[in-house]
Amino acid sequence: MIIDPDLPFIDRILAGEQNAYAELIGRHKSYAYTIAFKILQNRPEAEEAAQDSFIKAYQNLKTFNREARFSTWLYRIVFNTSISYKRKNNKVFQSIENTVVIYTQEGEGLLEKTDKTKYLNLAMAKLNEADRTALSLFYLDEFSLEEIAAITGMQANTVKVRIHRARQRLADELKVILNHEALTL
Amino acid sequence: MKRISQAQEDKLLDYLDGNLDAIAEKQFEDEISSNVLLKTRLEELLAVNALFQNLSLEQPSKNFTEQVMMKLDTAPASSAWSIRNGVLLLIGVLAALGAISLLLTTGIFDSTATINLNQSELPNKILREQLPSFTLSGKLMINIIILLNIVLAWIVLDRTILRPYFQRRMQA
Repeated sequence: MIIDPDLPFIDRILAGEQNAYAELIGRHKSYAYTIAFKILQNRPEAEEAAQDSFIKAYQNLKTFNREARFSTWLYRIVFNTSISYKRKNNKVFQSIENTVVIYTQEGEGLLEKTDKTKYLNLAMAKLNEADRTALSLFYLDEFSLEEIAAITGMQANTVKVRIHRARQRLADELKVILNHEALTL
Repeated sequence: MKRISQAQEDKLLDYLDGNLDAIAEKQFEDEISSNVLLKTRLEELLAVNALFQNLSLEQPSKNFTEQVMMKLDTAPASSAWSIRNGVLLLIGVLAALGAISLLLTTGIFDSTATINLNQSELPNKILREQLPSFTLSGKLMINIIILLNIVLAWIVLDRTILRPYFQRRMQA
């Protein structure tokens, strides 16, 4: 049996105390927004998708069966909603093979923190939404593979394999970036 | 350029994540120290891990919670009817209506049928009284079906197109 710290809040909300939902939002908004942002790669859209997901979760709170953690259930809604937003906006999935890497020359070294973040984002943008989300959740260290699988709607083994492949792709990409940097020095 | 196998790649990641048992870990460390390709790849994967050390949660706008709470009462409840499925169903209903109406005008349903319950082969012990007979009009039956279809089409139109449209207009 999972001891979910969100359950007392859910009980209060279902008993009619709507304001208790604000506390649940406060607890989960950062993760929800992060998931939406990793999928949509656009802040206003991610904000809208995350808000929409919280509303959907509230409207369907009675159907939450408490077999999984509330956060897992909520993030699954965020994941699906964000994927729907992505499809609506006709953003075409960019595969690792056909993405053009834009290299920029800057005075600061590659391994400066801002550069690290920039190159990480550049490399991450080449993964598909599910891999990007799974990888982010994995490195945020909050979720087990089973929970990531529940959020992204995949099997745990599939998630593990996809995270492995994504890390390998990132390693390859980083190598290309570093080689390019070395050549342009 | 020589590359390590996929199995070795996966084992490297398991090693990095601490998923190997002590014996396997020791054996793999020996293998890494004697294999330049494995050692190089390990360094590349470590570089990926180092990049992710900077990964932090993205933060939504400051009034995120307030905005959601404000929308809770005004947002329309999500409908189980998707617009796409609703439109397809509507097209189907209207196509069926058109086909039935066309057949109706050709007079194919103009015949009537009389059902006489006394013709049934039930034993006389059960049936002691005369049963009624009644006439079914094909045209009447089809008209009822058309009427039910029109009601169904109206419900589908309302749920999938009209209601979402006016809700969006109210929110705008």
